[in-house]
Amino acid sequence: MMPSPLIEVRNVSLHYGRFKALSNVSVSFAPNQLTAIIGPNGAGKSTFFNVLSGALAPTTGQVLFEGQDITSMQAHDYARHGIAKSFQITNVFKQLSVHENVRVAAQMRYSRYELFKPRASFKQAIEEADALLGRVGLLALRNKTVADLAHGQQRSLEIAMALAAKPKLLLMDEPTAGMSPEETSAMMELITALAKERTVVLVEHKMKLVMGICERLIVLHHGEFLAQGTADDIRNNDEVRRVYLGQG
Amino acid sequence: MNLHSVVNGIARHRVASALLFLLIFPLLMPYEALAINILIYGLFAVGFNLVFGYTGMLSFGHASFLGVGSYLTGIAMVHFGVHWIPAIFVGVLASLVAGLFVGYLAIRTRGIYFSMVTLALGQVIYYAFYKAERWTGGENGLRGVNAEVIDLFGLRIDFLNPLTKYYIIWLFVALALWLVSRILASPFGSVIESIRENEKRTVACGYDVARAKLLIFVISAGICGLAGALRALHLSVVPVDSLHYLQSGQVVMMALLGGMGSFFGPFVGAGVFLYFEDIATNVTKYWMGAVGLLFMALILFFPRGIWGSLMYQLKQRGMLQGDRE
Amino acid sequence: MLDITPSLFMLQLMTGIALGAVYALLAIGLSLIFGMLTVVNFAHGAFFMVGAFLGVYFLALTGSFWLSLVIAPLVVGAIGLLAERFLVRPLYGRGIDYPLLLTFGLSYVLIDVVRAVFGIEGLPSSTPASLRGAVDLGFGHFPLYRLFLIGATAVVVLALWLFLEKTRYGLIIRAGSRDSEIVRVLGVDIAKVWWLVFGLGTAIAGLSGVLAAPTRAVNPEMGIHVLAEAFVVTVVGGMGSLPGAVVAGLLVGVVFSMTALLAPAYAEMSIFVLMALVLLVRPQGFFGKAGALG
Repeated sequence: MMPSPLIEVRNVSLHYGRFKALSNVSVSFAPNQLTAIIGPNGAGKSTFFNVLSGALAPTTGQVLFEGQDITSMQAHDYARHGIAKSFQITNVFKQLSVHENVRVAAQMRYSRYELFKPRASFKQAIEEADALLGRVGLLALRNKTVADLAHGQQRSLEIAMALAAKPKLLLMDEPTAGMSPEETSAMMELITALAKERTVVLVEHKMKLVMGICERLIVLHHGEFLAQGTADDIRNNDEVRRVYLGQG
Repeated sequence: MNLHSVVNGIARHRVASALLFLLIFPLLMPYEALAINILIYGLFAVGFNLVFGYTGMLSFGHASFLGVGSYLTGIAMVHFGVHWIPAIFVGVLASLVAGLFVGYLAIRTRGIYFSMVTLALGQVIYYAFYKAERWTGGENGLRGVNAEVIDLFGLRIDFLNPLTKYYIIWLFVALALWLVSRILASPFGSVIESIRENEKRTVACGYDVARAKLLIFVISAGICGLAGALRALHLSVVPVDSLHYLQSGQVVMMALLGGMGSFFGPFVGAGVFLYFEDIATNVTKYWMGAVGLLFMALILFFPRGIWGSLMYQLKQRGMLQGDRE
Repeated sequence: MLDITPSLFMLQLMTGIALGAVYALLAIGLSLIFGMLTVVNFAHGAFFMVGAFLGVYFLALTGSFWLSLVIAPLVVGAIGLLAERFLVRPLYGRGIDYPLLLTFGLSYVLIDVVRAVFGIEGLPSSTPASLRGAVDLGFGHFPLYRLFLIGATAVVVLALWLFLEKTRYGLIIRAGSRDSEIVRVLGVDIAKVWWLVFGLGTAIAGLSGVLAAPTRAVNPEMGIHVLAEAFVVTVVGGMGSLPGAVVAGLLVGVVFSMTALLAPAYAEMSIFVLMALVLLVRPQGFFGKAGALG
């Protein structure tokens, strides 16, 4: 019996005027799976990701999380419901310290409007932040200003911040973009480890990377669902081969 | 005990340090009325800075809250014979309500639009008070806000004595500064700083940014309202121009002059501005132009402000840790 | 209680349109500068005021209203060009609030310079001789000058529209307001375009001042309230939208004058209440783009 999906997308379409970015896509994601969304340029991967993460509202269709309709949920509620994401273009608090970045993210679960107690007394947020920094290998840089960090380190920071929300679902948009080969393999290891504890959905255009580690791949093409399956399924899928290889 | 530890000690106990300094402040000023003005406007600037320096919202309508605080305190005393302490509460409460009204409408907009909208909403309040002559005295302002002899815990204190007046006001300012410091050090304080740094990121972390903005806006209005209430008591009149956007522009200038995003900066800014104004009005009748030139020079060459530049230099030299100012 | 006859109503409406014409011009200047440079010109009211003073001054100097109508805005535009080049330009890239704050300081300087040159009392202004008198509109007699004001504004708006839509330079301006990167890549000197647009926007503000001078008191403080009113128009119409500036300008002018007729005590407040309503219902303004804010 199929486990009930953690998050699913039903008959989602997104139109910009006459341009159909997404057409009638229906996909569901089971818990604790590592899935990648792939497809050639312009396939609609980013658009699909944005619908999943709530950044874009679909023209028609629904997004359901744990059975609940979250299609029109407000942006700030995503983290609270256990959906965290890392952006394609690193989006962190550049002028704050590395530690403070993650602490603010962790603090959300403990206090948002507390006006009188000093933040230093919320020890759990501080300790969680340090633990997460340790996990992504940034603990030594704890007090540095983020603007002084290398690009790859900032990406790792962002993942630590996403994890601070203790998400059930982690969405990652091109996590290895702009990374060196060493950074990329480190990131891939981290992602594999993270996927053992929660559901992870990636958008990637580096096919070889995801084929190696993902249990499931979903291929989009021209905004439509093309195929899904394991890496082998996809490699042997005639339509996929036509779409990718046919394009030279 | 070296300079480094002294500086950090002062920074760690910023409220106490500020208040200690303000205790001896009147002795440094040529006359007490200037010191009182700086105390009041310093509080006004600190309140404004919560929204501008800490959250990053440039409001051009904050004079409304100063004015509402002044007027409602004055109206309570003049028209309803309320005692000055509850009258101050009335003023603060009214400015909180005004903050809710303006904040709710203005926060629907963002960035540059926000400045225009707050300016215009401030003008609504200005005209409303201008026209309500029966209560506010209209063009002539509200007169007779007199608290000559203050009954403080059974002691009869002569409020007309400038030095006494200063220290009574100092008590209220002390309370307000303590409150502001607590708020800035709280988890909520880190949320509003995050909003200033990167609003989208703060939303992604799960914070309801619109609501947080509204909350800090209302708190800021209350602090400015308190400054207004104290101003009414100090001047015994409430001039209608207290509500005009030029007064809002003035507090923007004070905050920038001192340095936004720092705790004591706005106080320094208020002090320098009023001191400069005092000198300039005696030297030339074109002090408005002088202020304009000073302000433009500030924007172009010293965007960190006086106190802000000082803090920056100290940090660069490693004399000051992290984000305590 | 004033007896409100249909003809009084219509005349007041026309007065509102004449007032709205001035507002429309002001808002167009503001919107041009904002749309292109993303700068809110807090000195816009001051430029309006300088235009009014220069209009009266050149009229007295040359004896010709038409000459002053051309010269005064050009001088104001020149001041705008100087201001952009030396005061505003250094601030690009620093943060959106800085140019706004700088122009606020500039307004203070402009006001005191005018006081120093022309005195603190202001200048007496009257309707130019060739435009005096009233015209019978059927429902009553309406001042010729105000009709002229409406007509002149229409001509300026048309000329501006033709410039923006039909000329190459206008195309650059329209493209640049949407995406300055693209325009830069196409080899256009974007700094120069911004410089000229700022000058154009302030010149239009000056022009509205010259046109408005005969209808109101010309004093150094006249731009202070006008700035707030111009903001209302741009919020209602939508910042960066020229049709929005025109429609909202006329609407605000009419709302003000009709309230002045029907409920005089609330006239000044009425336009701000209008703005508050628009903010509640459609924060981006009538013609504004959603997502540009909020």
